[in-house]
This record gives sequence, structure tokens and C-alpha cells, in this order.
Amino acid sequence: MTAATGAAATAAATADPGSAGDGATAGDSGPDSIVFGQPGALTGAFDFLQPGVSQAADAAVSHINEAGGPLGAELEVIRRDTAVDPQEARSVTTQLVENDDADAIVGLFSSEINPLWNFLQDLQMPIVTPWPGSTFLDTRGGDKATPGDISDDEWVWRTVVGDTVHTGGSAVYALEQGFETLGIINGNTEGERSYVDGFLSVFEENGGSVAEQVEVELGGSSYQSALSRLFEADFDAFLVSMPQESAITALSDWSDGGYGRQPILSDTLAQQEVIDQVGSDLEGAWVAQPGRSGPSYDTFEGIYSEAGDAAINGWTPPSWDAVQVTALAIERAGDASPEAIQQNLGPVSRGDGTPVATFAEGKEALAAGEEITYQGAATPTTFTQHGNVFGTVSINTAQDGSFTETTQVSAEDVREYVAEGEY
Amino acid sequence: MGLSQNVVFGLVTGSYIAIAAIGFTLIYGIVNMINFAYGEYLTMGAFIGLLAVTMLPVPLPVAVLLAMAGGGVVSLVLARGFFTPINQTGPVPLLLTSIGLGIALRSAIRLVAGRSARYYDTDTVTYRFDSLPDLTVGSVDLLGGFFVTSEHLIVIGAAVVVFAVLHALLTRTDVGIAMRAMGDDESLARVRGIDTQRIRDSVWVLAGVLAGLAGVLIAIQTNVSSDTGFSHILQILSAAILGGAGSPYGAILGAYVIGLVLALSTAFLPSGLTGLSSAVAFVILVVVLLVKPSGIAGKEVREA
Repeated sequence: MTAATGAAATAAATADPGSAGDGATAGDSGPDSIVFGQPGALTGAFDFLQPGVSQAADAAVSHINEAGGPLGAELEVIRRDTAVDPQEARSVTTQLVENDDADAIVGLFSSEINPLWNFLQDLQMPIVTPWPGSTFLDTRGGDKATPGDISDDEWVWRTVVGDTVHTGGSAVYALEQGFETLGIINGNTEGERSYVDGFLSVFEENGGSVAEQVEVELGGSSYQSALSRLFEADFDAFLVSMPQESAITALSDWSDGGYGRQPILSDTLAQQEVIDQVGSDLEGAWVAQPGRSGPSYDTFEGIYSEAGDAAINGWTPPSWDAVQVTALAIERAGDASPEAIQQNLGPVSRGDGTPVATFAEGKEALAAGEEITYQGAATPTTFTQHGNVFGTVSINTAQDGSFTETTQVSAEDVREYVAEGEY
Repeated sequence: MGLSQNVVFGLVTGSYIAIAAIGFTLIYGIVNMINFAYGEYLTMGAFIGLLAVTMLPVPLPVAVLLAMAGGGVVSLVLARGFFTPINQTGPVPLLLTSIGLGIALRSAIRLVAGRSARYYDTDTVTYRFDSLPDLTVGSVDLLGGFFVTSEHLIVIGAAVVVFAVLHALLTRTDVGIAMRAMGDDESLARVRGIDTQRIRDSVWVLAGVLAGLAGVLIAIQTNVSSDTGFSHILQILSAAILGGAGSPYGAILGAYVIGLVLALSTAFLPSGLTGLSSAVAFVILVVVLLVKPSGIAGKEVREA
């Protein structure tokens, strides 16, 4: 029995009747190659995050191929640029599916997924993405805990914790720090508002209050008028929810104005460029990011660091997890069709199977006829019914000219504020 | 902080818009075209300055001069290459050509420089004026304390110099007087022996020089990216129209109105509407044009 047929037999024995794992014999008729399409931010407002995400995906692919590849096939990632533009994302995704024959998608941002939601559902292609934080996805996506029945499925899964989780973590940390009253400056886009809404839903429910909120247009040449207005209010700390370039402008204006007080930054702002441009006034500012505390983080980090020198950011381990868990779903299914992947993402991530840290371990366990539970790098990668993951939140503080992880907010602490079934 | 702080912010914004809007409106008034590619001239000027300070490297004032010179050259070359050959075909082909050229230039800049923002390395010094007399009207302290930064002063100072030089150029030099004559009546100017092509070229160079300067002034306050000029072209266009299209003095006035409206509306709009400051500026533009279609000071200033 080949590894692939072993996996298929396992799947047939454990998945719901009619599910994937239908006995496809990859060893005899399996594909020569399997393609994951990766829409990415090669340019645009978030391009500074892409190198780490790309390197993690490439490292995962190399690792998987060294282990024999899913179903014995050569795995390949084809990466195309969307510049985080929804229209471009639609075009790129179509191209990856139609022209590049992608078997799954391992990318797409919130600002691409949300407006393209119906299009992506019609595509019926599993999208396992390391990027999106949007609360829009809290109850959308995943297999609804019925992996054998794809009729109720929604074809998006994310390996990064959503805004609800890490903004909740940020709010919990702010309250622990004794900040009771906030000022807020945020961009007027869905993503920036979503971040603030997620934060406030926990902050205000637990006794915090907002003294002043100023919303601004992004891409402005100056935010000094907005800051002038904001800092007329009395508050302990202020939350900045803006993309990097606008945030640098606003924080530079804040520094020039000598306004002081404690900055709390949104998740994408823990970047060296922010400190370099704003300067020492930023000392002590902190950012809550998706954690890097999955059970297999050390395994990931060891392999990743040998693959290149791109810095690890909050979306890097989730990129590794997206490729790993998708490849394992194919291995378990014995089939690389979109339906088979969709039906097996849940089973390889949840339950009481043998914990595996990498594709290599998973392939071996599946070949031995065992069920597996992938233990991710960013989080345990235990997909909820809505295709979400839950994990710790990392607090990164500006210290001595760089951001350093100073503490974590445990998943259990955040879970108190995020109801089961609503995420 | 009082009203005075937001007036400072409005003056800064108005200053760099004004510098750019002068060039834009000169092209409109004398070459008789709306140049939508003009925003990209700002971007190129800002990148030329950035290259000068980072790669040569030269002090910022020298980089500014290089950006201005580069802007002038770029503007003239593009005019000779694209606009002059179709100058007689009417305003619509010129408009469409400028839109297409703007897209092409922005794409080319993006191709070379990428989309990421780049930053000038400038040291900001802040000057504080905290002890002013209390002058409160209603709930607003008109003076209050305020601060200005060295970058604010550079922008406002550059604008003052530009306005003075422009005024001298238009009133004291043959080229400037010829520009005004062409703006009023090109045929008559030609009959009176003015070399209209030379004056057109001069306008293109002057507009490019101003765009280069405005680009650097925007960039030292914030950053420069391939979208810098594009994101400002509506403000520039609005200033030119608000003041009276074709009138450089009107463009200055329009720019400061827009700058002050942007600053003050952010400060005084109700909570929840603060992200609409640009919309307020455009509403005021529409209202002014309904009342006075020639712009705030267009005709009167041009006749002065």
C-alpha cells in the first residue's frame, strides 16, 4: 500500500459517508504536481509584510517536497500580486484558478475577501489564508463542523487569529495596564474601523470608555488638525488604527506636536520603519499582534530561518500553517480536488488524532493509518466551525529602537470575551 | 489649543497647494489646457529631490533646486513630446492626452520606484508659542497656544518667496508681461509680436519648476510614493477653479481657502463626521461656483 492509498483508506474510514477520501489511488493515478495559488501583497500598502509571508510559504513547500510531497506529487506555489486591491484580487484569483490550475488558494486579505465574498463562494475553491483579520469572517467560512457535507460550507479558512481575538487581547492588556479612558484616531476604511470596533467591544464591556474618536481620510499629507482635536480630550492612552504610511505621518505629527500620552498601535504597525520614521517618542508604544505561540513554532522557526533572511511578522507563521494544513488535507483525502481539500481541512486540524508538527510527520502518521491533528506554528490551528483559529495574542513594545515581544495575553484570557459559536 | 493652531495647519496645507496650483493654473490660462498629468510632475520632483539627498548626496536646499530644475525639464520635454504636437486639435484631445500621460507616468514611476512610501531624512525642530493673551469668543480661544515646526516654516517660507518671485515675474519682466498678454488674448499677443511658442515653453518650465518644489515640500512633511501627486491633484484643481481658473493670484487665494477649510473642518465637525473634511472643502467649492462661476477672485484679480 502506498502512503497515498493509506491516507485515502484512512480518510474513507473516518470521514463522513460520501466525503472525500473516496479511495483515490494517488500512487497509481495521482497528479505529478499540485499547485497552490498565492495572491499576495507584492506591492501596495502592505508589501512590507509580504517577504516574511512568501518566505514562510516557500519554506513550507520545500519542506513538504523534501518529505515526498502531497500524494507523492511536487508541490508548487504560484504567487501573483494583487496590491491588496479587490478588483486586482478578483482578476488574480481567476487567473490562478483558470490559467495556473491551482488546487487551492493560500492568500487574500480581508479587504479583498469581504467585497469578493460571493465571487469566492461561487468559485468553490478552498481558500486557506494567513492574512485576514476582519470580523466579517467571524461567523463566515469553514465547514460548519460537518466536513462530509459541503452543501453548508463556505470556502474560506484563516490560519491567523481574527481581529476579534487580537483586538480583544489588546483591550484586555490595556485594561490590565490601568488605562480606563481612550482617545482614538482611525482611518475611514472598513479594516481600520473593524479593528477599532473589535477593540472597543471588549474595552467598553469591561469598564473602559472613549473620550474622543477622530476618523480621518487615509493618505493625507497631515493629520495635525485631527490630533489637535483628539488631544483636547482627557484620556489615558490613544489607539491608532491606520495603515503604516498614514500612521507614520500621524505619529510624526504627534511627535512634532509634543502631545505625549501612551500610544496603542494597530496590529500592522509593529514595524521597524515606524520606529525609524517616528523616532524615540514612540518608546513604550505597544502593539497587539497575532501570536507566534503555536505548539510547533520552534520547528517552524528552525526551518524558516534556513530559508532566507526575511523578518518574521505576525502573518509569517500563519503562512507556514496555511501551506502545511492544506497539504495535509490533500494527503488525508488522497485527492487534490477542491472538494476533497475542503472536506479534509477540518479533520486534519481538530480532534484527537496524533499531533503532528509538520507535513512530514503527518504524512508518516497517515500512512500508518492514524488520524492526525496538525499543531501549527502561529496557533494550534484547530479550525472552528467557521474556519477560524484561536490563540494567544503577542504584545510587542517599542524598546530601544525596535519592537520586542514583551508579554502575551493567553488564549484563555481572550476567550472569556469571545463567545463560542460567535467566532 | 486654540483656533490659531488650526490656522497654522491650514496655512501650511494652503502653501504647498498654492505653489502647485499656480503652475497648474498658468498652464490652463496660457496654454489653455487642463493638465491632469500635473500631479505626476509633483511626484517626479519629489523623487528627484529624494535621489539627490540619498544618492549624491547633497544638502536639502540643493536637492530642492535640483527637483525644481528636474521638474522644469520634465514638464518641457513632455509638453514638446505630447502636448505641442496636438495643440491645435482642441481642448478635449489635450485633456485625454493628459489623463493618459498621467496614468502612464504613474505606472512608470511605480515600476521603477515601487509603491512603497519613501522618506526624506529631516530633523524637525518645533517652536512653541504657549503664552499668548487670552482671546476667547464663545467657547473658542482664538489665540490659545500653538506650535510650528521647522518644516512648517520651510513650507510657508517657500510659498512667500514663490509668491514674491511670481509677482515680480508677472509685473516686472518681459516674459511675465507676455504671459499675461497671452492669457488675456493670444491672437492679439501674437499680432503684437510676442513669440507665443517661446512663452508657452516658459510656462511649461515654470509650471514644472513649481511642481518640483511642491512635490518636495509635500514629501518632507510626509513621504513620497508613486501616488503622491495623484492624491493631491484634486486639491490643486479645486484651488485653481475656486480662485478663478487661469488666475495665479486667484489660485493662491483658492489654495488657502481649501487649506483652512480642511484644517478647520477636521477640528470643528461633529464627532463621527471628522473623516469628511475633504467633502466639506468640495461642498464649499461647489457653493462658491454656484454663486460666482468665475471663482472667488478670478476676473477681478486678472484685471488688476
